[in-house]
Amino acid sequence: MNKEPVSDNAINQARGIVYQLLSSLFAKEVDHQLLHELTSDNAQNFWAQLASEQAFKSDVDTLMSVLNTLKSDKALLELAADYCGLFLVGTKHSASPYASLYLEDAQTGTDDEPTLFGEQHQLMLQFLKQSQLQVQSSFPEPADHLAVILAYAAHLCNSSDETAQLEFIESYLNNWIGNFAAKVTQCDSGQFYSALTRLTQSWIQAEVTGLRAEQ
Amino acid sequence: MNRRDFLKGLVSTSYVVLSGASVLAPLNALAASGAKSKDGWLTTGSHFGAFKMKRKNGVIDQVKPFDLDKYPTDMINGIKGLVYNPSRVRYPMVRLDFLLKGHKSDTTQRGDFRFVRVTWDKALHLLKDSLDEVQTKYGPSGLHAGQTGWRATGQLHSSTSHMQRAIGMHGNFVKKVGDYSTGAGQTILPYILGSTEVYAQGTSWPLILEESNTIILWSNDPYKNLQVGWNAETHESFAYLAQLKEKVKQGKIRVISIDPVVTKTQKYLGCEQLYVNPQTDVALMLGIAHEMVTKKLHDEKFIEGYSLGFDRFLPYLLGESDGVAKTPEWASEITGVSPEIIRDLAKVMTKGRTQMMMGWCIQRQQHGEQPYWMAAVLATMIGQIGLPGGGISYGHHYSSIGVPSSGAAAPGAFPRNLDEDQKPLFDSNDFKGASSTIPVARWIDAIMEPGKTIDANGSKVTYPDIKMMVFSGNNPWNHHQDRNKMKQAFQKLECVVTIDMNWTATCRFSDIVLPACTTFERNDIDVYGSYANRGILAMQKMVEPLFESLSDFEIFTRFAAVMGKEKAYTRGMTEKDWLIKLYDDCKAANAGKFDMPDFESFWKEGYVHFGEGKPWTRHADFRDDPEINPLGTPSGLIEVFSRKIAQFNYDDCPGHPTWMEKTERSHGGPGSDKFPVWMQSCHPDKRLHSQMCESKEYRETYTVQGREPVYLSPVDAKKRGIKDGDLVRVFNDRGQLLAGAVVSDSFPQGVIRIHEGAWYGPVGEDGSKEGGAEIGALCSYGDPNTLTQDIGTSKLAQACSAYTCLVEFDKYQGKVPEVSSFNGPVETQI
Amino acid sequence: MKWFINIWRTLNKPAKFLTLGTVSLSAFLMGIIFWGGFNTALEMTNTEEFCISCHSMESKPYQELQETVHWSNHSGVRATCPDCHVPHNWSRKIGRKIEASHDMWGWLLQTVNTSEKFEAKRLEMASREWKRFDRDNSLACKNCHNYDSMKWDSMSKLAQKQMKRAAKLDQSCIDCHKGIAHKLPDMGTSRAPELIAQVGSGENTPQSEQTYFTALTKPLFYNDKTDVEAGTLNIATKVKVLETKGNRVKVGIDGWRKKIGAGRVIYYDFGLNILSAQLTKDAALEEGVIETFEEKEDPMTGLKWQRVEAQIWTDKDYLVSDLQPLWDYARDTYTTSCSVCHTQPDEAHFDANTWPGMFQGMIAFVNMDQDTQALVQKYLQEHSSTFDKTSH
Repeated sequence: MNKEPVSDNAINQARGIVYQLLSSLFAKEVDHQLLHELTSDNAQNFWAQLASEQAFKSDVDTLMSVLNTLKSDKALLELAADYCGLFLVGTKHSASPYASLYLEDAQTGTDDEPTLFGEQHQLMLQFLKQSQLQVQSSFPEPADHLAVILAYAAHLCNSSDETAQLEFIESYLNNWIGNFAAKVTQCDSGQFYSALTRLTQSWIQAEVTGLRAEQ
Repeated sequence: MNRRDFLKGLVSTSYVVLSGASVLAPLNALAASGAKSKDGWLTTGSHFGAFKMKRKNGVIDQVKPFDLDKYPTDMINGIKGLVYNPSRVRYPMVRLDFLLKGHKSDTTQRGDFRFVRVTWDKALHLLKDSLDEVQTKYGPSGLHAGQTGWRATGQLHSSTSHMQRAIGMHGNFVKKVGDYSTGAGQTILPYILGSTEVYAQGTSWPLILEESNTIILWSNDPYKNLQVGWNAETHESFAYLAQLKEKVKQGKIRVISIDPVVTKTQKYLGCEQLYVNPQTDVALMLGIAHEMVTKKLHDEKFIEGYSLGFDRFLPYLLGESDGVAKTPEWASEITGVSPEIIRDLAKVMTKGRTQMMMGWCIQRQQHGEQPYWMAAVLATMIGQIGLPGGGISYGHHYSSIGVPSSGAAAPGAFPRNLDEDQKPLFDSNDFKGASSTIPVARWIDAIMEPGKTIDANGSKVTYPDIKMMVFSGNNPWNHHQDRNKMKQAFQKLECVVTIDMNWTATCRFSDIVLPACTTFERNDIDVYGSYANRGILAMQKMVEPLFESLSDFEIFTRFAAVMGKEKAYTRGMTEKDWLIKLYDDCKAANAGKFDMPDFESFWKEGYVHFGEGKPWTRHADFRDDPEINPLGTPSGLIEVFSRKIAQFNYDDCPGHPTWMEKTERSHGGPGSDKFPVWMQSCHPDKRLHSQMCESKEYRETYTVQGREPVYLSPVDAKKRGIKDGDLVRVFNDRGQLLAGAVVSDSFPQGVIRIHEGAWYGPVGEDGSKEGGAEIGALCSYGDPNTLTQDIGTSKLAQACSAYTCLVEFDKYQGKVPEVSSFNGPVETQI
Repeated sequence: MKWFINIWRTLNKPAKFLTLGTVSLSAFLMGIIFWGGFNTALEMTNTEEFCISCHSMESKPYQELQETVHWSNHSGVRATCPDCHVPHNWSRKIGRKIEASHDMWGWLLQTVNTSEKFEAKRLEMASREWKRFDRDNSLACKNCHNYDSMKWDSMSKLAQKQMKRAAKLDQSCIDCHKGIAHKLPDMGTSRAPELIAQVGSGENTPQSEQTYFTALTKPLFYNDKTDVEAGTLNIATKVKVLETKGNRVKVGIDGWRKKIGAGRVIYYDFGLNILSAQLTKDAALEEGVIETFEEKEDPMTGLKWQRVEAQIWTDKDYLVSDLQPLWDYARDTYTTSCSVCHTQPDEAHFDANTWPGMFQGMIAFVNMDQDTQALVQKYLQEHSSTFDKTSH
């Protein structure tokens, strides 16, 4: 199927970096350093290239415009409060980024929240272990946290074939990212994280379509 | 655009490298950094029981009772949910506006609002800065760090000890006296029976089972309340209750439950119930006493030899002093109990051996001192105090009281107080004319009306001007009364700090929230068997602290380090050193009496067993020789009339037990025309106060449409068109809540029950998630203290009066709001 | 060799004509001789192997030692049996060896050859060792542990305070550190050891006409000889020594009593339920024991009170001249023990007559022996709002 091995590697690396970037943005609040990196000239080019795809454009534009307003500590703190309200404090009135909350919802058809560190956490731990990986001790979250899953997808981009990548993305990301994005959009009191989540959703959809086409 | 082209485009730009570390790390690097705990069974314990836990793949997998607990409560099924529930406080957090504006923040936001995560270091420095500011500006009267409650079990990590030692190293603060459970009882009884009684060991069950002919359970539900204990419970009382059930069946012991409601205990024992109108127990007791005197059933010799002041009580009883004889007919009018039954009770109680067992509920009402005093007078008239199986007790429903004590010494605890040579950073003791200690339930009044002087237990208390509160392992947004009044009070505070493991309502109404780990994420030791002191339990760490939570020891050691006092705080000892010290000190105290192995063997085995205790009779020594073994009363005798109380000149607590009308009383009493229903908010059946409400799976075994149950009578339900399982709005002028109807024959007309400890989850008037911080918000889950009134029992105890509470209820017709109690703060817009 | 022949003769006499001492001595000497030389024998008996060759030593004290820091520690120094139990000074060593021949007798008679027998004798044996340590001022300990070489800084504040005080007095180590190498015996009768370690066991010879305070609750007697108890003298009670005879002193106790019953209880002051002494019925009625003075009615109870002075005998031990160490100990115990579950109320939060009710109601969870309980209650009463008008 693919005839350009060198270029392929580079492409996979680039895809991996997108996953890694998304992972980083879900893993913690935007601080000064991250902001600096996200708004550097290099990054601007990168964002522009991302926005060149129609499906990503409006969300990338939103992210850019929010990032450009983060001129003060207070603005950063407001964004951190958005992050906190969505991802750190609870489940029902927020959008905790754990796969288990959305997957098991869909299965049982109720809006019961499962307990933390449950089945999906264990499943992800198994994946990580197979790949000789584990969650950083400085990131004391369950392994079914979106940031972990995205980081693992990034790892797969660089280390496994596309069939395996597609299978993982379909079974552990694509099947819940839609519900998650809807929840974030519903709960977000700002614009940044809903745009980020929608972008993630679009990216994953594009990935799935693309990878399927290449099978 | 073609995907490959797009991706090729990305390749050229994607060398943007993020400096932040990935959330993933190579497996071995982590394995080397901290050896993961092995799977398997470990021992631990809680207020709900001692038990074993199985660890699997690094998480808690199964829980089973401790071998020596023959009557485990099913509440241990909720333990896993305590650890892995979504309400965990995961990181140190600060309310955004407080972070931005500090002590000048908009406090009307307090309740549900925006928080941001901060590092531990930042959070602890903020705490120090806030304390500095309050001590500098207001002195010690500006800080109240004295509200404490049922910390999780464990002698080393006792959350209130740690908090008060560390905050005390910073500066002095306002403290409390008394508690919410027994405030009136523990204040009145030392004057009457010479000890608080409520927390004293009681006559042993074997003697009661052997000697009693009649047991009166007065507003007492031991079968429900003995499920939880102050230490790791092993539920030995239940073996005796089983024997009692057998004796009731055989007709050997008559048990009468005097209660408006058919209790769990009554159902279990299959015993008799005597219905009495809510809050009228004193009138019933007076009617019985009147009959005893009229028929000369009382023990005049005992009264003469062991008590003081009966002659000054008699004129009141007989109506000579106030023109109202307290006859059975008089009592019947008030209590709804027929004169014949009252007469019969007087006879039954004075025939054979009668053990009176008082519950705590009836002292949590206005004039709550009176039923306890009058019951003591009845027991004096019966004349069996100090005899096995006779007399009166106020604690047989609590923490294994009545199970013979082993007599062994229990382990001490991490010190609550500063070491002798230590001085606080801010050592001012200038409370600016205000009191440094206030009655426990009056702190909201103090915040609302600083400088006001009230009467309390014979002295004057002047309310300090409180600007800052620090809570640890304590949830006053459960146990205090009148939520809407609390909201107003909290708006007057500059800073509120809460350390807890889950997002209680108290956390949500705070500015700084610090995550403590659960009992099961740290090592500790505790007694098992509570008052029986049956042995010592190793509380072995099951899993590492989740998220960024820390043990209490670690939190306050770090805070002490911020103050530059780390070594003074820990005495230079590690957590493990302390554990061994507490064990070894206990071993030394038991040397020669109870064999204890060395620490390592103990830890491996999981427990040390002290064996059985000897049966014992309360007050037997007093009965034997009242001169040498006097009671702790002013006279050394039982005080039927207390000159000491009389000279306080309190209109709501005169010198002898007195029937007084309440501000609110159902069944024809004041206020019942507007709000006809009495709400009782007794201790829950399936929680310890508010602990374990957050355990989701277990909670769902009893909720109705996801709400706390409200138990109500078929008559009341029918009248309001309510069916079992309906959503019900319960309300009065103080507030409103939603609860799920459980229609039950156990409840009489005009009485409903909502167990206290139901987590407060306010939502806006229209049922929307927003507006929870507003005064008058609807509680979406069913916290009964949304409705209770915040008044003192009397000028004597100034204790809480949650049981003096009238309400109305109807079928809820509005838009059904989601329950907001268990998911951390809800971001509210204003 | 004449002495040898004499001894041999003695040994060949039937044992029933001998006193215990002779047999022990003989057995000791036999031991020396059969091991072929005095010093060799002495050294032989000075090894751990010798000590534990007796089964009762091996099974209990030796095993207990192995669980302690004296056996295993990070510096690798180990204390063996003779290090602590045999004096290093030659003449004392011989003395001890002769004393120890008693132990051989015990071995012969199988006095402690079972665990039960050993436990039954443990206190007696330990007391003998403690007395010996006392006599040597814990010399055996001090051969390794020196007050002068102690590094105060590395001690906790509390340890510092206590050790410095001990160092000043060159106190015997065993005063405080009993039970560190072997299990503590059942101290049934030896009461409140920590309290006594802190306040001492009193003056050797109390002076007449001087006032003292009781460091424990003490029995009272009718006279200087009888064992018939006449009541109890409460802890931390002020008494005046009137006369001393042998081990007894006659003391004067001033106070008030309630005019109920036989008036057997003497309280600290009018209307205050602070216990000073309790007499038996007989003692209260005995001529010359209680002298009575004016009467007053207590308005709080309506009871009549009467001022009294009692003169009665007690043992001369546990009478200390300074009350403050007792209060210090009580305050420490109160703040530590009573804050395990909750903040302990200030001493002046209640008045003297309210404290007993509050204290007794909360005592179930607190580890205090009877003496300490009585002391803490009295401390609280005498520091209550009745006396301390400054706070609250």
